[in-house]
Amino acid sequence: MVEPLLRAENLTKRFGGLVAVKDVSFTIAEGDLFAVVGPNGAGKTTLFNLINGVLLPDEGRIFFNGKDITRLPVYRRAPLGIGRTFQIPRPFGVASVRENVAIGALFGRAAEKVSVVEALAIADEYIDRVGLQAHGDKPSIALTPVERKLMEIARALAMKPRLLLLDEAMAGMNPKDIDELVNFLKRIKDEGVAIIALVEHIMRAVAGLAERVMVMHQGSVLTDTTTEAALTHPKVVEVYLGKAPG
Amino acid sequence: MSPSRTRLVRYYALLPVLGAYLVLFLIGNGQPDMWQLVAMLAFYCALGQAFNLFLGMTGYVDFGYVAFAGVGTYGMAISISHLSAVEGIGGWAIVIGLLLGTTMATLLSLAVGAVALRLRGAYFAIATIGVNEGLRYFVEGARIWNGSDGIIFSRDLRLIFGREAATALSTFWADVLVLLIAALAGVVTLLFMRSKIGYALTALRADEDAAKVMGVNVTKYKIMAFITSAVFAGLLGATAWALKLTYVYPPDVFEIHYTVEAIVIVMLGGVGTLLGPLVGGLVYGLSKYWLAVTLPGFQLLIFAPLLLVIVVLFPEGLVGVLKKKIGNRPLGKFIV
Amino acid sequence: MLGEQLLGNLIQGLVLGCVYGAATMGLSLIFGVLRVVNVGHGAFIMVGAFTALLLFNVFGINPILAVPVALLIGLGLGFAVYYLVMQRLVQAPELASLLATFGVGLLLEETVKQVFGSEFRGYYWSVGQLDLGVTVLPMTKLYACVGSVLVAVLLYIWHRKTRAGRALRSVVEDAEGARVCGVNVNWVYAMSFAIGIGLTVLGGVLLTMFIPVGINPYMGGVYTLKAFVIAVLGGLASPYGAFFGGLVFGIIENGSYTLLATIEGVEPFALTRALSFIMLLVILLIRPTGLFKTK
Repeated sequence: MVEPLLRAENLTKRFGGLVAVKDVSFTIAEGDLFAVVGPNGAGKTTLFNLINGVLLPDEGRIFFNGKDITRLPVYRRAPLGIGRTFQIPRPFGVASVRENVAIGALFGRAAEKVSVVEALAIADEYIDRVGLQAHGDKPSIALTPVERKLMEIARALAMKPRLLLLDEAMAGMNPKDIDELVNFLKRIKDEGVAIIALVEHIMRAVAGLAERVMVMHQGSVLTDTTTEAALTHPKVVEVYLGKAPG
Repeated sequence: MSPSRTRLVRYYALLPVLGAYLVLFLIGNGQPDMWQLVAMLAFYCALGQAFNLFLGMTGYVDFGYVAFAGVGTYGMAISISHLSAVEGIGGWAIVIGLLLGTTMATLLSLAVGAVALRLRGAYFAIATIGVNEGLRYFVEGARIWNGSDGIIFSRDLRLIFGREAATALSTFWADVLVLLIAALAGVVTLLFMRSKIGYALTALRADEDAAKVMGVNVTKYKIMAFITSAVFAGLLGATAWALKLTYVYPPDVFEIHYTVEAIVIVMLGGVGTLLGPLVGGLVYGLSKYWLAVTLPGFQLLIFAPLLLVIVVLFPEGLVGVLKKKIGNRPLGKFIV
Repeated sequence: MLGEQLLGNLIQGLVLGCVYGAATMGLSLIFGVLRVVNVGHGAFIMVGAFTALLLFNVFGINPILAVPVALLIGLGLGFAVYYLVMQRLVQAPELASLLATFGVGLLLEETVKQVFGSEFRGYYWSVGQLDLGVTVLPMTKLYACVGSVLVAVLLYIWHRKTRAGRALRSVVEDAEGARVCGVNVNWVYAMSFAIGIGLTVLGGVLLTMFIPVGINPYMGGVYTLKAFVIAVLGGLASPYGAFFGGLVFGIIENGSYTLLATIEGVEPFALTRALSFIMLLVILLIRPTGLFKTK
């Protein structure tokens, strides 16, 4: 059996008395488009923080490409191929957009081999792809919130990730932008990057984004299945769509 | 395809920096009675460039910074006082002094860094605030390097070089070395900015946690900047203090006053910029000189509120403000 | 008798520690609420010292009465500094507030120097002593110790029982949430800063009851370092931790001085000063969150 790209086993994370993530397990294969759905407080961002290394789990393990990365330091995960965007974008302040994205290229999967000049060229490439060509020289703090999200995506992609963690990428966007983003993500997926997208509402996932969906509620997994099946899952219906009629 | 202004920082940004130091040298050399002033300005510029390597690039304040200059001074002092007995040692005493000074500064920075650099902003400041004092009292208390008696090596210097050359060394060549150190620090700053190190430092300075997520090994890069900055401080102590004064006393070389001046110079000029420390050093040095003549004893009373004004209202410093005003014009390319 | 000597030493250290602790509580309070490290801490202690000095030498007012005066001065200074400087730096990077408090401390030192000169001064207030058998305690030190404990207790009552104290705790817990609940967060910050400074200046008076000499504009530097060690020992955000950290520090400092004085070839005073710093490094290495488990 081919080793999945990412395998999470029984992840649990507690904060004092609160269990943010409870016994969560799932696998991601290369090129998957996977959505984690859940309202605020369901544990989605905590889950990302665990995969990223920002937080360490109390129980459970994470494997990336067969390697146990459960306790690997944060900065060692990017070179393995784990890229991430943040729910509220975190641009590198005064640095220009190009410099921001170049940083992604410099410390990502190609970290050992890429030179600064090459990184800047890679940055240009991705800036073009997300449509920010006009803003390459601007200080990143001068961008609008939507532009910042796009820059974050470009920065994460410049890392040449094998797995991209997208945290609420679509929040605050208008429907047209969302459609464009979804198409963009599909193209990325076709290039072999697996994507985990965090979304708050299941309908977004339905809007053509994900093939598989994991619905979380108060830290636990309600279901982990195809999007269509999730829509009709009784527990999901109860939590999201109100009590089933009758 | 729009031409980029944020491509790699060009080498010609060094021109105003190196040019300024050259001009300083020529002025002092041509007008011997101006040499004192030139030497003082050179010192402040060098101090600023060295301090900026860490403060400017990482955003961390090392309140104990002067300790590195202090041990650099001791390195030179120890070298000269011990090697004067060696026949024909000549200029090697200086070279060894510089090497010893930088080695000691490196070792100290590794020791301090091992504890402090694992800590975040505020804790780092706390950890460093006692370094210079702690070291001073340790030297005095444990009576190492002659304890509170210090080391006087003017005689040893004369023994090695002869009276005339020793005087020339203390009054001229030491200051030339300081100018060279300032220039070198500027070059290193630019090299950092152009390289992977500079990008890593930019990231960690802006948002340390996000930088880690992007794959930046923040501790490693903090250490690199820390050691580099410390080495330059060591060189400065070995030349501007040891060679010029030919003695070293613990309370003098571990005096927090110099860290204060370094902070003011860098913040005034523009923290994190290449030109900033140069501008800051010149402005501060000239102001101090002028104040010493007109309002002696008032210097810090004026610079303290000035620092507050800068921090609150103009955190980007003189060069930062200048960059905003003319950054888009052709001349702006030189303002880095 | 060694046991007696040790006990005597311990008592002296504890008494000293109370004062150290009281003088540091302000630092921890400010950090706990505003997440700002007051790098100019020592300068405010110096202000307290000068207050005691002047009131005694010029007006003949004994230091005990100088305490409330110092508190008022400190509150005034604290509000002034907050509204003029610190308020604008709430969103700025950490570096800014570090440099700002540093600059304020510097400004205080230089101003005092201009007005009063940089000579070392002191005052002489003798009210007898207490003979405890194992050691002799001057009454001034006893007053300082009692005063310190009193201040700590009063702070505790204020913190736990008053509305203002509750508002403070809610802001520490969750500033955004407190704001939503109608708490004027900026006012809480201002008040906390002012009280923190007030405590520090007051601490300066108490310290002079212990060491009524060596008062000069630059005396603060030493205490800044000691305060940091104490604050970190106690867990940087907790004023009560700071008090107990002070006790620990007092005992260690006093004990080490006595011990070092018996060793040949070292200078105990200088080495004890170096000890503060070594302690700081050790604590930061092994337990940066402090010795005590505070909630």
